[in-house]
Amino acid sequence: MLQYLIILLDDTSVSYCHYENTKTERRLISLDDLKTGIFFAMKQNLMIQFVYPDYELPEEYGQVIQSIDNHKIAPCSILSDETNVCVTCEWEKLPQEADTFSKEFVWVLRISKNNLFSNYEKLSLRIKAIKRLNLVITDVDTFREEDFSIYKKVLSHFQTVLKEQYSQDLYPQFNLLSDRILLDSMNNCNAGVENITLAPNGRFYICPAFYQENEMDSVGNLTIGPDITNRVLYRLDHAPLCRICDAYQCKRCVWLSRKTTLEVNTPSHEQCVVAHLERNAGRELLLELQQSENRFSGKSIEEIDYLDPFDIRKRERE
Amino acid sequence: MPAPAHVAAAAPAPAAEFVAVAVVVVIRAAPLAGRGLTCKTVSMANSTFKNITFIVTKDCQLACKYCYLVGKNTKEKMSWAVARQAIDYIIGHSEIFNEEAVVFDFIGGEPFLEIDLIDQICDYIKRSLFEKEHPWFNSYRFSFSTNGINYHEKTVQNFVQKNRTHLSVGITIDGTRAKHNLNRVYKSGKGSYADVVKNIPLWLKQFPDGATKVTISSPDIPYIKESVIHLYSLEIKEVNINCVFEDVWEEKDDSLFEEQLILLADEIIDREYYKEYKCSFFSENIGKPLDRRLQNQNWCGSGMMLAIDAAGNFYPCTRFAQYSLREKEARIVGNIREGINANRLRPFLTLDRCTQSPVECIDCEVAGGCAWCQGENYDAAGTPTIYQRATAICKMHKARVRANNYYWNKLFRKIEKEEWKANKKVEKCCNI
Repeated sequence: MLQYLIILLDDTSVSYCHYENTKTERRLISLDDLKTGIFFAMKQNLMIQFVYPDYELPEEYGQVIQSIDNHKIAPCSILSDETNVCVTCEWEKLPQEADTFSKEFVWVLRISKNNLFSNYEKLSLRIKAIKRLNLVITDVDTFREEDFSIYKKVLSHFQTVLKEQYSQDLYPQFNLLSDRILLDSMNNCNAGVENITLAPNGRFYICPAFYQENEMDSVGNLTIGPDITNRVLYRLDHAPLCRICDAYQCKRCVWLSRKTTLEVNTPSHEQCVVAHLERNAGRELLLELQQSENRFSGKSIEEIDYLDPFDIRKRERE
Repeated sequence: MPAPAHVAAAAPAPAAEFVAVAVVVVIRAAPLAGRGLTCKTVSMANSTFKNITFIVTKDCQLACKYCYLVGKNTKEKMSWAVARQAIDYIIGHSEIFNEEAVVFDFIGGEPFLEIDLIDQICDYIKRSLFEKEHPWFNSYRFSFSTNGINYHEKTVQNFVQKNRTHLSVGITIDGTRAKHNLNRVYKSGKGSYADVVKNIPLWLKQFPDGATKVTISSPDIPYIKESVIHLYSLEIKEVNINCVFEDVWEEKDDSLFEEQLILLADEIIDREYYKEYKCSFFSENIGKPLDRRLQNQNWCGSGMMLAIDAAGNFYPCTRFAQYSLREKEARIVGNIREGINANRLRPFLTLDRCTQSPVECIDCEVAGGCAWCQGENYDAAGTPTIYQRATAICKMHKARVRANNYYWNKLFRKIEKEEWKANKKVEKCCNI
């Protein structure tokens, strides 16, 4: 059931996820479409997430946006006290010291694997200063076997940093590790099922990435409403690998899946292994916290002997 | 070969004999893909098989009306360089192609139009397997589905003689002259029956157990009974007959189809053809509900097979090559230069019955034996997915199940009566 409407306010609205926004020319959503989108969300009981570009919007837009309860996703260049999610592609822009202002919102860091592998030690120091960090690797599909080993090492380092924080009664959230500890069931992106995106052209898309990739790939408009063919394929129960998986923190990005396997319901080997390395690192952190800090006593994450649920299917077939 | 419409599976698998050195195995050809396509899920206790298809040409002498190959042409012929690179890749990657045996299929268009290339390919395969001491050296087979038109020609016959012990050939003949010529016509419109039927005796002499495949589209329905009986009269003992998967069916086709199958059932039973001849429409194992969990396997073997075209691209089966697709883009899963793209194969290898089926199919009380072609599912789907099952075949399957039930009820009663009579005779003898 739909719960969120993501509204891209402009073609240059910041990317907060795996996809790259390559559009450089500004195209602001029309005021009429913005109003109609908000009206649609109100009728459908949807929470709106506005995604901002890096420039100030005309005043009348601000008034319309303020007419409804919403979440603001914005690039860190236009941070304000109304921001809920602040996005950056440069880890250096994450706050160095905790301050009241920075602790108010979630930070999203979009980073390439090579950048992460080179700077994870410095980056990990910034976790202390923020309430929650969502780290998004922008090129998961390019991981090779050797990258998996490095990523495991990177996660192990973050594990140590988080453990130190927890032992000091500080609880920064870090999506790659702490989410799995806190979750008891899948918490995927659920684009196409729980959320849908309204683009500046007045049309609906499964998520912003689908719009960025191909404007022709729309799933309805403001006149007819969302019209998603084969909508069941976005659901967890129609994803043969994901429904048997317990990497609950995985985004299960349907756009990445389509890009790599040509099916929205089938993730690539790289997506699965990366998610399982995170899951296993979360498990190790949980065990350490349970042993040394006596925390999370009711939680457990099972030990598994695979990094890709595809291996389970293969075994079943054999 | 004249690429016929990819067809709905009628019976569980026309069984073609597979003779490898020291073992005799049965290749279960899941009858999904039309006569040109041998969608084989090859299985044998403790053995696994790979099916590799060379699309050697997209040309054919015929222009069959029900052909699903919408992109046939005279230009796309496989070059020797592409074929050799494909063989080198496959034989050189036994960690990927780790099945215990292999079936190399050659299809077109009409494969025998490229008999010189095929001969070269087969020689190279044999030599490479030998030189590399490959496990397939004693476990390979070459398989052909042909329209039979140039089967008698010297080049084809030389090839048959040379590879006889490792060869399977199926000639497609659709039934009576009228039925065959209804669809299987030359580009000029002339029927091809006469040119095919003259080669049947030679073929059966070389392959006495040769089976043919018959395709049923809407206009063919009135000819079903007479066609099967006609093929039996030609001494073809196994007739694999299937309805096309495409949405071609008219309003009363299911009733007409059922009527024809009941007439056929009467003829097969009354004339006792069932003792020596097979018709895939009738199977004891179809028409039962399927368990959601225990009978959740995918019907189709696409993804476990590999097809290669003239450009050197790999496909999960030929039905995903562009010349087979009306609406969608080809699903390429690698090529001879970069190898297999394992991510592109994942959806095929994780497919199951229930995830791709609508609720009415999952709950269907006669679901057993209702087939699908993954390629047609993809081509007919509302989005570019293999996870949406096409259901145009539904009413034809249900009609088939009704006729099939009639067939087995009648046959069992007949056998029962005969046994009863035989027992009576024995009793009388004993009483004397």
